[in-house]
Amino acid sequence: MDYIEQKIPPIREDRLKACMAYGGSCEEINRDAKKGCLYNNNRKFSQSQGCQLTLSLAILNTIRDSVIIVHSPIGCGANLVAQAGVSKGFQKLRDPNAFGLRWINTNLNEIDVINGGEDKLREAVLYAEAEYRPRAIIIMNSCVPALIGDDIEAVLDDLRPQVSARLVPIHCEGFRTKIQATAYDSVYHGILRNLVGDEYRSEELIEPLFPDEAEELKRQYKISRTVNILNVSSMSRTDEQNLIDLLAPLELNIRVLPCYSHPDDFADSFEAALNVSICATHDDYFAGHMLTGYNVPFILRTIPIGVANTNKWILDIADFFDLREKAEQIIRNEVIELEKAIAPYKEILKGKTVILGGGEIRIITMAELLHSLGMEVLGLRGFHFDQYGENLLAELIEEVPESERVIMNVGTGQPFEQANLLHKYRPDLFVGHPGGNGWANKQGIPVFPLFGQAFQYMGYIGVYEIARRLARFLQNTNYSKNIGRHARLPYRESWYDEEPFAYINQEEEVQA
Amino acid sequence: MNNFVERPKYVCSMGGAVGTLSVLPRTVPILHAATGCGGNIATALNQAAGYRGNGYCNGQALPSTNTSERDIVFGGEERLVEQIENTIKLIDADLYVVVTGCMVDMIGDNIYSAIRNAKAGGFPVLGAETGGFRGNYYTGYEIVLKALFKDYVEPKSEKNPRLVNVFGIVPLQDVFWAGNLELIKDLLAKLGYQTNTFFGYGETLANLKNAAAASLNIVLSDTFGVEAAAVFEELHGTPYISAPFPIGDFGTSAFLRTIGEALGIEKAFVEKVIEQEQAYYYEYLERISDVYSDLDLQRYAVVVGDSNYSQALTRFLADDLGWLPEIVVINDLLQEEQKEQVLKRFEGFNSGLRPTVIFDTDASNVSKHVAQHWGQSGGQRYFGGFNPGFVVGSAIERDTAELLGVPQLSVTYPISNRVVMNRGYAGYRGALSLTEDLVTVLIGNR
Repeated sequence: MDYIEQKIPPIREDRLKACMAYGGSCEEINRDAKKGCLYNNNRKFSQSQGCQLTLSLAILNTIRDSVIIVHSPIGCGANLVAQAGVSKGFQKLRDPNAFGLRWINTNLNEIDVINGGEDKLREAVLYAEAEYRPRAIIIMNSCVPALIGDDIEAVLDDLRPQVSARLVPIHCEGFRTKIQATAYDSVYHGILRNLVGDEYRSEELIEPLFPDEAEELKRQYKISRTVNILNVSSMSRTDEQNLIDLLAPLELNIRVLPCYSHPDDFADSFEAALNVSICATHDDYFAGHMLTGYNVPFILRTIPIGVANTNKWILDIADFFDLREKAEQIIRNEVIELEKAIAPYKEILKGKTVILGGGEIRIITMAELLHSLGMEVLGLRGFHFDQYGENLLAELIEEVPESERVIMNVGTGQPFEQANLLHKYRPDLFVGHPGGNGWANKQGIPVFPLFGQAFQYMGYIGVYEIARRLARFLQNTNYSKNIGRHARLPYRESWYDEEPFAYINQEEEVQA
Repeated sequence: MNNFVERPKYVCSMGGAVGTLSVLPRTVPILHAATGCGGNIATALNQAAGYRGNGYCNGQALPSTNTSERDIVFGGEERLVEQIENTIKLIDADLYVVVTGCMVDMIGDNIYSAIRNAKAGGFPVLGAETGGFRGNYYTGYEIVLKALFKDYVEPKSEKNPRLVNVFGIVPLQDVFWAGNLELIKDLLAKLGYQTNTFFGYGETLANLKNAAAASLNIVLSDTFGVEAAAVFEELHGTPYISAPFPIGDFGTSAFLRTIGEALGIEKAFVEKVIEQEQAYYYEYLERISDVYSDLDLQRYAVVVGDSNYSQALTRFLADDLGWLPEIVVINDLLQEEQKEQVLKRFEGFNSGLRPTVIFDTDASNVSKHVAQHWGQSGGQRYFGGFNPGFVVGSAIERDTAELLGVPQLSVTYPISNRVVMNRGYAGYRGALSLTEDLVTVLIGNR
């Protein structure tokens, strides 16, 4: 992978041939994916979703000691107002002195649309530097300046000698892609180009007058045992710590990036033996470039959710360092203890039906976890679907009996399709991506959030916590029942008689 | 001045349009906008407006064309026609309104021809050009109201002398809009008037359709909804009056007298209503006189918010509670004439307090204004300063309050640290809720 010389990263429609509109079964999507005929992105009726700018903030609002400048009309990045408190709290878990979220909007108006907005951007950068003296100023480009032709790279090149902050442009214009996960590529693109490398170290590397071979050997050894664990902002600090603890017996030097990092933490991130992703959707662009640019190999296979996938995640890392036996020992100990602990919950969850919605990596692994607890998975709704989902789904189909028959619906949000599915299948539980979970609740179905920064989902303890919470959810479902009896979704009754995927432009695109 | 804004407390004009339409009964907006506009607005309006939720058809359910690069190049009208037709087929509503985002406005898609070409099956479909570069939430509110007055409100030849319309409380941007509108409606009912508030529980689209029958439009603002009320007057002949949003005895009594005069109500009757309301109000306000006196609950205060709330809160704190809100920071993007109008509302306080009013859009500057006014401790032994202080503002002012070491209450947008349902702060009864909330913060550690 090598896009790093380009100013703007490619979109995922092109780079990963990702699909955003599909309805069928797991078996069918797997077959169609193999045939390479999954380019569907359009619906005849569509509902709102996020864009790359909104999703870029999921990483960027965690970066400490920085200021975000959203170069746009006043509305873009408005979702930050809802995140400020949370972001600050979590930043403080890493550094008690962290200030939290600081951002500026360049407030492009009707005049700027005609005359250009470069001056406002320049002013905002200089203000951010003078007011906060941050380590990094992150500049997010949006639709309007892209269309009017603001050259933000040129503005920033011009400003660099005048400011001490690292200037990090992020090209995340929403209209360029419908696959909001392109956001992660845009963010990593900005980080790789502007924060990674010797020239960005907080302390300059000084060539010793007399090379000390022993010191150098020690340094090289440390690098050979260093693993970058690429975290996601949707996980809790406890999850992160649990994964680090799980790997402790392997005696590796673990560095956690990118969420909640300080801008300086990226400078020497290439001094590592291995990049380990927690979510391929999140990290493949970074990992791919670390391989091409710095020769650091990576593991992108799965997220450590559920016993099977946690095992795979640990074993893959151990195999890389030739430590399989140690890993097997960890797994044996953990699994025996876990099985005992979750036995009572399995009794409660046995045979309960569930439909899941969210990112492809999380829903497929979560489905495996729920199946392992004795639940019956009826359907999956992925935000998008690409090769990483395809690989995981193939493993699911192989390992979980009858999972090929599970419904597979691809769409970012699109709650009208979800409403139709939930109406037809009436599962005991819905597991969904936060932001749109209320819709299922209004249909009277209890909802378990697919992730949450205040809870544990990963590793073996994650399995226990999920089982325990699921049992709690089912212990009293009165709130969803009450709401279900009194709330009404906006769809006409006739919609529930139609096929759930009636508005996907499926065939037309496949033929084209 | 038109500058960048540090931590803006409003979304764009499309956000204002979507937010406003989303709480109009049986109305569904159709976004003709870039992928992401809907999602961005949804988070800002759900989680930062007191968790108002996704309502009937908001958040991810908002119909949107999700325009992308290809549509920008080739134009998106055809896709819009398809989206309108299918929205009507799928979504159960009585009114559909197409609103546009920046990209669509910039490439010049003609939404009105798309609306004409769509087979709507008799359902009303309106359009409004709301691209975000046109302004902030308030601008969107104004654009949408104008479109509704022009294209939805039916002309009426006869006025109903007992009917008034209320505008200027901007839904969602005023996080307590629903409660506030109910409280205002109750107050006007006590004067013997029926009120259309258009938004909020119990309102219907029929109220809006027949709004031209009202004999007066009451705009509870000097800045928001005024232009729309002027359009209403021009189209439907109903005059309007701008009255400041009232909180507490002094604000509300003045409000009732102003309205009484505008409607030609007998003075003695208005005074009787005021007396009855005051009796209720002081019956309860008196309850805290013990704790107020025992613990010294008087505070210096900074009020931060929009032009509607800031004057109402300041007057209430100064005239009703006897606090010292000496600094007021207004975050709106306003024209000079509007600023002059707003400043007048800070004059003539019964308490004699003359607050310093500052127009500043940058949230970080609040603490600087405090330091400038009350001084900064240099470690000297005898120092006055902002102590005991209190910040009444939005969730963003938590940082300021933390920096200043004083308590804070979120009353103005954004509010991400409180859940708000039918609570309102308007009028006499709303002021009791506000007093409860302020004092609860002060005694929270007991």
